[in-house]
Order: sequence, then C-alpha cells, then structure tokens
Amino acid sequence: MSEAEDVRAEVEAMLALVRARYGSRLDAEQLAGVRTAVEGIVQAARALRAVRLTNADEPAQPFAAYRSEP
Amino acid sequence: MADDVVFTPVRQLAERVRARRLSPVALAETFLDRLERLGPRYNAVVTVTRDRALDQARRAEAEIAAGRYRGPLHGIPYGAKDLLATAGGIPTTWGAAPFKDRCFDFDATAIVRLDAAGAVLCAKLAMVELAGGMGYRQPNAAFTGPGVNPWNREAWSGGSSSGSGSAVAAGLVPFAIGSETWGSILSPAGNCGLAGLRPTYGRVSRHGAMALCWTLDKLGPLALTADDCGLVLDAIAGRDPADPTTVERPYRYDADTPTGRCFRFGVLRGITDGAEDAVRENFMRSLDVLRGFGTVEEVALPDLPYDDITRTILFAEAASAFEDLIESGAIAGLTAPEDRYTAYARDAILAKDYLKALRLRGVMAREADRVLAPLDALVAPGRATVAAMLGSEVRSAIRGTARDVMGAVGNGAGLPAVAVPNGFGARGLPTSLQFMGRAWEENTVLAAARAYQAVTDWHRRHPADA
Repeated sequence: MSEAEDVRAEVEAMLALVRARYGSRLDAEQLAGVRTAVEGIVQAARALRAVRLTNADEPAQPFAAYRSEP
Repeated sequence: MADDVVFTPVRQLAERVRARRLSPVALAETFLDRLERLGPRYNAVVTVTRDRALDQARRAEAEIAAGRYRGPLHGIPYGAKDLLATAGGIPTTWGAAPFKDRCFDFDATAIVRLDAAGAVLCAKLAMVELAGGMGYRQPNAAFTGPGVNPWNREAWSGGSSSGSGSAVAAGLVPFAIGSETWGSILSPAGNCGLAGLRPTYGRVSRHGAMALCWTLDKLGPLALTADDCGLVLDAIAGRDPADPTTVERPYRYDADTPTGRCFRFGVLRGITDGAEDAVRENFMRSLDVLRGFGTVEEVALPDLPYDDITRTILFAEAASAFEDLIESGAIAGLTAPEDRYTAYARDAILAKDYLKALRLRGVMAREADRVLAPLDALVAPGRATVAAMLGSEVRSAIRGTARDVMGAVGNGAGLPAVAVPNGFGARGLPTSLQFMGRAWEENTVLAAARAYQAVTDWHRRHPADA
C-alpha cells in the first residue's frame, strides 16, 4: 500500500469513528469540515510517529503522588 | 479630566498618582466613560464593571491620601479577558453564548493579586469563544462579535485575547490581562501595535481562569510598553497553592538595564519564510536596530515536527477540557459555524499519539534551551502577516494553514516571549517583533524589548480615530 493510500485508509477509519459517534448531528457540509480536520490530525500523528525516541524519553508532564495532610 | 491620561503608559500614570497629581477616581471615570462610549465600536467589552471600579478607585484614593501607597498599579484602571472568574455578580462568559449569563462566586488569583496591588478592574474584555479552542477559522467567533482593530476598523484585533488587544490600543484601559495557549497574547499585541508578554508556563497562577489546555495555558499582560508589561507581571506572578503548576520562583521585575549592555540575539534560519513582504522588511530593519545594542547571529533548531507536537497536545487537551460541551452537542450554540462541529474530529487523536507529543515536547524543550542558552533571546516577527480582514479566513498554525515554529516551540516548551510593535504593513496595520527567552527569563526579554523601544517610537503611535 502506498503512503497516500495508507493515509487515506487511516483517515477513513478515524472518520468512521467520528461519524458513528456524532454523525446524526452533522450535515454534509459539516461532515466535510470534520473530514478536513481529521486529515490534519492524521497527518500530525504520522509526523509524530516518524520521530524515533528512546525508552528513556518520558512524557514532559509532572505527576506527583498525592497525600492529604497530615 | 483632560484626555492626557489616555495612551499614557502605566509607569507615567503611576508617578502622577503617587504624587497625588492624578486622582484614581477621576482616572477610573475617564476610562469607564471611554469603555462605555467607545467599547462597542471595537466589540471590545463584555461587561463594564463600573460599581466595582469606583469602589476600588475610591479606596485607592483614600489609601494614597493616607500615605499607604501600594506600588505602581495602585489606582490604575485595567481590563481582564473574560475568562478570568470574577465574583460580585459580574458575568464570566468565556466569550461563548452558552455561558453568557454565568457568574462565579470567587475571583481568579490574577484578579485577587491585581486587587492587592491596588489596580482598578474596569471591564471584562471580549475574547474569541472558548479562547479559540474549538477550531474557529474567521474573526466572527464570539457572541460579542468580531474583535475590531482600532488601526483599521475593517480588520481583526486578533485572537483570542481580542478585546484585551483592542481595548488597550484604543485607549479604553491602560493595560489588560490576556491569556495565551498558542498565540493569544502575541497575536492581538502584534495586530494592535502593543506590547504583549507571554510569561513562562507556571509563572502566573491560572486558578479561576478557563482551562483550555492544562499544559499550555498562560496568563499575561498587554500594555503600551514592554516596561508596563513588567510592572503588571510583577503583580500577578508567583506560587499559588490553588494552581499546582505554579512554581516557587519569586519574581521581581527588574527595570534597570546596565548602561552599555550588549545583548546577544539569535534568529532561526528561515524564520521569515512565508511572511508578508512588509513583515519581512520591518523585521530586517529591526535587526539593524538590534545591532545597535547587541549582536545578531543565525541559529538552527533540529528538524522536528514542532507545530504537530504543540497542535496535538492542544487539540487533545481542549477536547478533554470541553468534553461535556462537545459530547452534549452544546457546541451547536457557539457563534462561529465551524466551532459547532470541528471539535468532533478530535476523537481521532489516539492516546498513544498524544503521549508521543508529550514525549517529543521534552526533546523540544531541551533543544530550545540548548539553542537559547548562549543567547539573551531569539528574535522573530511576532506574526507572519498583519491582521486579517474581518470577513476573511484567518491563517492559523493551530489549524495547520500557516507555520509558526516560534509559537509552537515557545508555547510547547512554555517559554516567555514579549512582542512589541516594529512598523506598519498593508492597510495601515501594525507589524511586530518578538523576543523569546529561556524559561524564567522574563526580565531578560523585557530588558531587550525596552532597549528596542528606547530607540524606536512605534509604541508612541496610536490609532487616529481612537
């Protein structure tokens, strides 16, 4: 499968999910807008996935165990 | 009161207030009158807080008369973006029709701190609905109408702190508080010819501010000068137990720059690619000015998908922050047609991809710091274009219709930046110059911006019909 076909398949799969959840609220014009947004999300995700990281690269996000006083 | 207080920087107003040559009550009356009279012209105001303002101004006047001067914001009017909670029956609308009558019973920490500094809240200012988090494509994306630019009333004031930008630029308040998730302080500052400061993430408490993206949202000032931004940051910065992302790094604004200081500036390779001609030309002229008190060198960041990293984080967190509004279908009540459905697409973001963006953010933050470490600031155009026209589509890095590496890195890595005006472009609209520094280096970027403003006069020009 070519890169373009890969992208298209992923977009269609994601769009099917969105349509299943919200399709009843969307007219054709809105659905076309959602498709454009999904295409952007898929392109961004593929750009992220293309960068290799190591096991040690943790999410840059603080989490601290919580305990109320005392 | 004579209109000589309008377009006067906070620093100078404060000197007159302190010396009791300027009455805080008269000052408040002047700006309240302008907010009520001129605010509608710019769609800049949601609520004029006249009663609260006059109470605060009378208190300030009495305290100063009694010798209890609190500092440079004492008795100074200001406006707050309408995503900061305010008590006392003053609505906090988030710019969104579904919330236009909603009130909180407490003040946001930033408001509390400005109260403590003696500042006088005169208005809650208009903004793009939900701070633009639902994917708006054009200026008419607030129940108050599109933010109108005082330099050209057919142009946009910028988003999402649109009222904060137009109110200061039109002389309706001496300073305002805005918020930035990606571009929402620097964009209206640039569009309206103002100084706008985006503090380091964690510098200013977000308690009581609408959450758009927990790991990206920052609060900061828009004002006439970089110096004024420093005065305001001094009042609102600091640790807040109610916002665990704030840090124990006490901030004091340092307005003194050693004479003869030589700054070291960096410019990212290709940073003006895609910029309008006037933006590029004004930026090149600005670099010549900067060489008068510093060095300018070209630098490079490694090739990473910066825009995609920050965009993915923003979309995922905004979809979660507004899950109820989206899932319930209540977004149908928003003003911009595209805001009524675009967020549905964000169900297509996989958790693994969001986490990848957070992992890459760490790499991005380290690389940005490596590049910035030997520099005082990276400099770049504040925006690649002048303000969009009211009826046109807005180019946006958030939607992927423009590139904004400085914004993606600066917001993704939580770095401070200040934008100041550096000329004019098409249709008489301002262009801007931004200084971005290492984390917690607000004083450094403010010093650089002050040095630029000391030898230029763009910040002394004001719209003709304001």
